[in-house]
Amino acid sequence: MFRKLFICVFALVFFYYGPTDAQKKKETLLSEKVTQMMEWTSKRSVIRMNGDKFRRFVKAPPRNYSVVIMFTALQPQRQCGVCRQADEEFQVLANSWRYSSAFTNKVFFASVDFDEGSDVFQMLNMNSAPTFLHFPSKGKPRRSDTYELQVRGFAAEQLARWVADRTDVQIRVIRPPNYAGPLLLGFLLAVIGGLAYLRRNNLEFLFNKNCWAFSALCFVLIMTSGQMWNHIRGPPYAHKNPSTGQVSYIHGSSQAQFVAETHIVLLFNAAVTMGIVLLCEAATSDIDIGKRKIMCVAGMVLVMLFFSWLLSIFRAKYHGYPYSFLIN
Amino acid sequence: MAEPVTVSDNKHKSQVNSGASYSGNGRSSAAAAERSSGGSGSSSGAGAAGGGLSGGLTQPAGWQSLLSFTILFLAWLAGFSSRLFAVIRFESIIHEFDPWFNYRSTHYLSSNGFYEFLNWFDERAWYPLGRIVGGTVYPGLMVTAGLIHYVLNLLHITVHIRDVCVFLAPVFSGLTSISTFLLTRELWNQGAGLLAACFIAIVPGYISRSVAGSFDNEGIAIFALQFTFYLWVKSVKSGSVFWAIGCCLSYFYMVSAWGGYVFIINLIPLHVFVLLLMQRFSRRVYIAYSTFFIIGLVLSMQVPFVGFQPIRTSEHMAAAGVFVLLQVYAFLQYLKDRLTRQEFQTLFFLGVSLAAGVVFLSVIYLTYTGYIAPWSGRFYSLWDTAYAKIHIPIIASVSEHQPTTWVSFFFDLHILVCTFPAGLWFCIKNINDERVFVALYAISAVYFAGVMVRLMLTLTPVVCMLSAVAFSCVFEHYLGDDMKRQSPPAEDSSDEDDRKNAGNLYDKAGKVRKHVSEQEKAEEGLGPNVKSIVTMLMLMLLMMFAVHCTWVTSNAYSSPSVVLASYNHDGSRNILDDFREAYYWLRQNTEEHARVMSWWDYGYQIAGMANRTTLVDNNTWNNSHIALVGKAMSSNETAAYDIMRSLDVDYVLIIFGGVIGYSGDDINKFLWMVRIAEGEHPRDIRESDYFTPQGEFRVDKAGSPTLLNCLMYKMSYYRFGEMQLDFRTPPGFDRTRNAEIGNKDIKLKHLEEAFTSEHWLVRIYKVKKQENRDRVEHKLRSSNANKQKYTSKKTSKRKRGYIRNKLSLKKGKKLQKKFL
Repeated sequence: MFRKLFICVFALVFFYYGPTDAQKKKETLLSEKVTQMMEWTSKRSVIRMNGDKFRRFVKAPPRNYSVVIMFTALQPQRQCGVCRQADEEFQVLANSWRYSSAFTNKVFFASVDFDEGSDVFQMLNMNSAPTFLHFPSKGKPRRSDTYELQVRGFAAEQLARWVADRTDVQIRVIRPPNYAGPLLLGFLLAVIGGLAYLRRNNLEFLFNKNCWAFSALCFVLIMTSGQMWNHIRGPPYAHKNPSTGQVSYIHGSSQAQFVAETHIVLLFNAAVTMGIVLLCEAATSDIDIGKRKIMCVAGMVLVMLFFSWLLSIFRAKYHGYPYSFLIN
Repeated sequence: MAEPVTVSDNKHKSQVNSGASYSGNGRSSAAAAERSSGGSGSSSGAGAAGGGLSGGLTQPAGWQSLLSFTILFLAWLAGFSSRLFAVIRFESIIHEFDPWFNYRSTHYLSSNGFYEFLNWFDERAWYPLGRIVGGTVYPGLMVTAGLIHYVLNLLHITVHIRDVCVFLAPVFSGLTSISTFLLTRELWNQGAGLLAACFIAIVPGYISRSVAGSFDNEGIAIFALQFTFYLWVKSVKSGSVFWAIGCCLSYFYMVSAWGGYVFIINLIPLHVFVLLLMQRFSRRVYIAYSTFFIIGLVLSMQVPFVGFQPIRTSEHMAAAGVFVLLQVYAFLQYLKDRLTRQEFQTLFFLGVSLAAGVVFLSVIYLTYTGYIAPWSGRFYSLWDTAYAKIHIPIIASVSEHQPTTWVSFFFDLHILVCTFPAGLWFCIKNINDERVFVALYAISAVYFAGVMVRLMLTLTPVVCMLSAVAFSCVFEHYLGDDMKRQSPPAEDSSDEDDRKNAGNLYDKAGKVRKHVSEQEKAEEGLGPNVKSIVTMLMLMLLMMFAVHCTWVTSNAYSSPSVVLASYNHDGSRNILDDFREAYYWLRQNTEEHARVMSWWDYGYQIAGMANRTTLVDNNTWNNSHIALVGKAMSSNETAAYDIMRSLDVDYVLIIFGGVIGYSGDDINKFLWMVRIAEGEHPRDIRESDYFTPQGEFRVDKAGSPTLLNCLMYKMSYYRFGEMQLDFRTPPGFDRTRNAEIGNKDIKLKHLEEAFTSEHWLVRIYKVKKQENRDRVEHKLRSSNANKQKYTSKKTSKRKRGYIRNKLSLKKGKKLQKKFL
């Protein structure tokens, strides 16, 4: 506020004394604009713009700073999920720049929401959001000033690289550390500890082997059914053929898999395991003989059926595999 | 199995153990008792292969050892011979990439001696940097092969070192199956051990790294791994320093053979730690771990490549921390006798938590101050699975560092992958010290195998053991008659201290027997029919497993990848020997110190087969050097020429599969070159330039102009536009990518084609020397035009004369004169 006042006074004094030629006026306008932009940036790292502001600070000529603008549609009724993710990344980038030691007034980050500045969208002939545009300090935006969102994705690192490419400003992306994970872990530990403390007189469940064995089995089954692959690669749950509307749960190639498929495999593996355990239980437990026979037969059927089923799925995926059993 | 009894007993055991004094003499008798009872318990398991032989014989023990010996021998033989597909189909040849380096250094070792090998500076690799080989390899493999070669020659059995290298892995697979047998016998019983030995002999997950010709660290490392674990379990069970020292020696062998020793040095402390948590601390564990840690640490530091890492890097800190914790724990246990119960409890919790806190904080402090290196990228990427993809493209680029799909689990393990959880279940239900170990082994290995395809190798042995446990459980109960099973089935393989303490404290073993015999009576009703059906079906599963293993080995894991084979419709075979043809050409036709640039995959092969200097190779220690080569490949010809000149490149070798449809060629790897180059030179190379605006990577006309003009593209497709492969496709049709290439008129300025192999698989280009004087065509031409304008006036008379005479004008003599 003070600074603004000072500049106003300065400008007044300047106008009063100095000759008011165009060059001077331009400079004043420029410095005024820069000051205004700096002030906004100090409030929030991404400046929100509407049509007026956009025309005044980005389109209008005297300008010695670049502006990187994200055109987006964040209003909930627009239902743009990508916009929100892109917005988060953009905020990360803008914050990294705002709080970095190299911060200057060379580059500003701004965003235009469709519902606030639809005239800007019309002016620029834009019909998709989010879009990232760079307005260079000199000259008109060129083709490469439009960020190729489809190709490069909207990760803050990629954006930073693009900005560095366009403006020569290197931004080191610093993500705010994600405290959610450790907090959740701490919370979970606290809950477990609390439960253990509440039940401190009855800690038998810690010695329950069934419990431990069951969790170990769960972990092993999760790993052998390729959930880690899903975690790293993020495949779709299943594939729906757009033309026929048919949903396929099994991926056709052996190099990839759907999430649904891994769940099926997990169940099959678990069934075979259970079959083997049942077979052994049937032979060793001391319940009456009828039940044991049923257990034995059930175990046998589980092992055979689900293993041959698994084999048939494998065969469908691994082309040229010759063997099958019971089920083709 | 007598579960209910053991469940309650195990809880008391820890207290009993810690109180009991260790007696060295008790061990041998206990072991002997165990052996005999283990044998009888497993007769049914062994019978899986041998039928009901042992039933009517007078001396079952003798027959059993003969039978186990025979089965192990047959397992070795089967394992050995199923690894010979490649040798029989092709010839005795070293496979793939890394084995070529191992072979080359073994050759150096056998011809120059051990000390020369340790001091070997290889100036033929990583030009102009060179590589200190002796200090940057795990020498175990080379020393093993060299030693075998030496001994054989000493016995006047003259064998070429190459044959020793080729057959080393199959021979060691037999040793692996024996050590697996020993380990499983310690964990469960002899029958399970035999099954495990048979499984590991033929399971594809292990064959993939140990076929004949695959002369790689893993081939011997799995043996060392299993044997170390066996000795560790043995030393925990017996608490004897002897076995612990044996474990250290085996660990030393493992350290000298493979970087995967880090798995051991973390798994064993984890085992000890979990035993502490389970209050299963005993003097046996104390003795075993203290010995193992100290001696193992000192021994592992003797390997030059490992050096001071065991005390300087985070990967090894868990072992040291557990060591300190164990000492504190033992000290507190000692104090226990001297204090009241109340005092002890407070002291105990205070002491243990204090010790844990101090250890943890000091590790963190030392890491921050730089005394301990943080986790190296390769290991870190195992925990943070997104790490490598972002930060280390060179690790992410290797196909065996990808995560594992369920298909490859099933492909490598077949029935075992579904049954081994059952074995894990049985182990945890009847837990004891060594089964804690195998459970931890299974859980950690399955995690690592899920993250990286390559680590399937460490999972395979434990899967074999646990599946063997599951199968042996089934066979034990379903094979053989009800009436004849008078002897108690196996609870015998559990701790020996059960036995040791049985006499003086309370008669546990007797209780077990009673219980079992009660069960026996109740069991008779299951009926022979059901039993035989179950047995038949189980045997059928095992048969399918064997067939699957053979098929997989034959089809997927037995190609040397140096020699390719293709099959015609009538089944006849074509051998594509392009690689060796090209490498031989290099060897014969280039100057001895010529420098060959290629992508790093082929570095070892060029060094091994062509004996020429390479710039980068499969030992990817210098990322920026690789990025430089990647940059040369992905820039245009002029820029690439500058880089190649600065690196003194004489020849460039590329792999091109477009003619025969070979998918592993350089164009398919090209994006990784771009990515790696971009990591180091983000200003010059941008990955997005190589994609179409739609984000596709295509080589046809729609491809991005940067791609169509980069050096790799030009070299791959040079003169390919003239070539029509068959009549259905246009000329210049790339069979690998199924596209007609976009840039058919390729002209090379600074390179010339030197050699192209028969099926165009390998193409070698010679980098032209700089010309004595630069030809600057454009300027000359423009100045000429100017000159002509001026000179036309000067020499108008002469010109007029010539114009009249058309013949002389055609000669153009005058023009030539002017140029000169």
